[in-house]
Amino acid sequence: MVVSIATPRLPIATRWSRDLLFHLAGLLTACAGLALWVTGVAVSLSVAITYFGLVVALGTLLGCRWFARVERRRAAIVLGRAIDERHAPLQGTRWTTRLHALMGDPTTWRDFAWTGLAGLVGMTLSGLALTLWGCVLAFVTLPAWYWALPAGADVGLFDIDTLPMALATAAAGLALVPVAGAAVRGLTVVELAMMRWLLAPRAAPGGEPGDPVPGAPPAVGGAAPPAPPLSLHVAFSLVIAVLMAIVWAATGLGYFWPVWIWLGLAIAVALHVVALRGLQARGDAQQALRVKGELCAVIAAICWVVWALAGGGYLWPVWPMLGMGTGLALRAILVFRERLPWVREQALAERVDVLTRTRQGALDVQAAELRRIERDLHDGAQARLVALTMQLGRAEERVADQPEVAALLRRAREDAGLAIAELRDLARGIAPPILADRGLAAAIDALAQRSAIPVTVDAQPGRRPPPVVETAAYFVVAEALTNVAKHAPGAAARVDVQRDGDRLVVEVADDGPGGADPAGSGLRGLRHRVEALDGTLSVTSAAGEGTTVRAELPCGR
Amino acid sequence: MRAVIVEDLALLREGIVALLRDNGIDVVAQAEDGPGLERIVSGHKPDVAIVDVRLPPTFSDEGLRAAIEARRRHPGLGVLVLSQYVEPVYTAELLASGEAGVGYLLKERVGEVREFIDAVQRVADGGTALDREVVAELMRAHAAGGAHGGALGSLTPREREVLELMAEGRSNAAVARALVVSGGAVEKHVRNIFAKLDLPAGEDDHRRVLAVLAFLRAGAA
Repeated sequence: MVVSIATPRLPIATRWSRDLLFHLAGLLTACAGLALWVTGVAVSLSVAITYFGLVVALGTLLGCRWFARVERRRAAIVLGRAIDERHAPLQGTRWTTRLHALMGDPTTWRDFAWTGLAGLVGMTLSGLALTLWGCVLAFVTLPAWYWALPAGADVGLFDIDTLPMALATAAAGLALVPVAGAAVRGLTVVELAMMRWLLAPRAAPGGEPGDPVPGAPPAVGGAAPPAPPLSLHVAFSLVIAVLMAIVWAATGLGYFWPVWIWLGLAIAVALHVVALRGLQARGDAQQALRVKGELCAVIAAICWVVWALAGGGYLWPVWPMLGMGTGLALRAILVFRERLPWVREQALAERVDVLTRTRQGALDVQAAELRRIERDLHDGAQARLVALTMQLGRAEERVADQPEVAALLRRAREDAGLAIAELRDLARGIAPPILADRGLAAAIDALAQRSAIPVTVDAQPGRRPPPVVETAAYFVVAEALTNVAKHAPGAAARVDVQRDGDRLVVEVADDGPGGADPAGSGLRGLRHRVEALDGTLSVTSAAGEGTTVRAELPCGR
Repeated sequence: MRAVIVEDLALLREGIVALLRDNGIDVVAQAEDGPGLERIVSGHKPDVAIVDVRLPPTFSDEGLRAAIEARRRHPGLGVLVLSQYVEPVYTAELLASGEAGVGYLLKERVGEVREFIDAVQRVADGGTALDREVVAELMRAHAAGGAHGGALGSLTPREREVLELMAEGRSNAAVARALVVSGGAVEKHVRNIFAKLDLPAGEDDHRRVLAVLAFLRAGAA
């Protein structure tokens, strides 16, 4: 799939020579890229805590953009045209806007990634390609210069020091030409695939078409080139690694240089893995932090391996690690600041404030709504039913001489009267009018007078509490008195309503037999009503000592 | 007889007016709020004012306060208060302003045309008209009040019925009609009740009603 895309059909020699040229240029750019990337990253991380670190980092990013532009053009050697470039324009008069455009452009970061990758992987691939062609060249031309070597040419396990052997080697070299060509083609394809993956423009997140110029020829790796699968990458790396080990073995088991190539391959795979995880982890700050952490871990590991392979000595990897650690820690604090104890405490306090206010608002609205319903019943349905009974009454008078009709009308009027009575009870249960009209003390007096048991009242609620508190206190008394009348019909009750600071204390005590169930449905409903106001409801009901229901309601507002 | 009406709901006001006119009562003026009552009463000098408890602008007990104020200013005026609720506190306040020429009825009683007209007449004549719910509240409060509870307990069921009807403000004849018994039988019950409750017996219907009410209210307090 990767091979065929947009690679022009050319004579095989032209293609091979272009591949060779591509890798020749690649080796040069890779050296420059690696130098830029390693220096930039190492310096900016090492001095990350100073402004200078930021300056170096910005310079590095700009350098990477420039480097990526060169690399896009290098692809033209093989592809015939450069890979499209689409940076977000660095516009704006203020340097902060331009900085934001630079940092916020994903292309910048892909350029940065490619600079590092080209340095490590590109150098490996190009180096390999040049080595292959170099070997072929050396083999083919061996008869011309083998005699100049004092100990003969050392080709793997053979020492070439006679003309026939040199000629045989030249023949073998000629036979190797297609092998080298094909192998280098493969290396080119792999490098181009990685280039296209990182350097070709991507479709905008909105999913609009990738090609910005209508009618233009298909862009090289136009929209959203598929990333080379990880398994292919790993397999390829393994093959190269084994190949290098064989080459090392064939060339006399000297210094184990393949370890550097292995390192390059391993870094490429590790970055690939991190990049894939980064692509999957979209949008979530914690996931993004994790990916950054992994990237830093990879970089740190690289540093340590390089340090170890270079023979130890001065512990320089400490500095980039310190820089990255500081950056990561700052980032983590930003991401997880909500979990900091003091931030959390303040957030909770604000939440409690909001909840308290909104609950108060909800209760006030509810109280107002209930009174509106009561009024609507009064002026609406109840009034119409009353008007109906009047009409029926008048009709009844007119047909007094027709007793059967009169009886029908009377029954209709009585039914309407029952409906009125039911509506009246309903309205009183929703929002007792006397409570709104006359306040708590009068309403409790009315309750006491209406009660079937003797009730003494001492109600001094003081300044009028908020309507919701008044209503709750009223229903506490009403329910408690109803309970006394139901469960202790012979008892007498005492209602006590006092203001205690910013609390309204309501107490209903009786001298009945006690033993009330505090979990009974009536009391439970009262408890909910009281607790919604941040109040408390307690029931004391020891057998033989009567029952006391006590509610404390805050009414500080 | 000349009446005025204060009621904010046109539907009910017109219904009551039609009903009164059907029965030969002259509705000389109408108003919709508390201040309106004073205006039409001083303007028209009616025999009776029929007033809704809940009136603009406060929609609480505006009508009741206006009615009590009107009774204070116009001593001969009968005031019949209509309400959709029976509130002992309201009836107590109304009765405290004088038990003669006063009435408190639930609105739906207007549909019981003959009794309603009767009540309007009584109030206009200086009598009393209390809703049976009001009387029931008074009786209940009296029984729960403890101190005089025993006296009511000594009445026979029939005597209790007679007492309740009297407390509504009815004359002996009306009580007899309601219970479908003879006037003599009612007379006998009334004598027994007054003896058992230790009340001063008067010949006048109004006075007897007032005595019964005073007794009930004293016990309920």
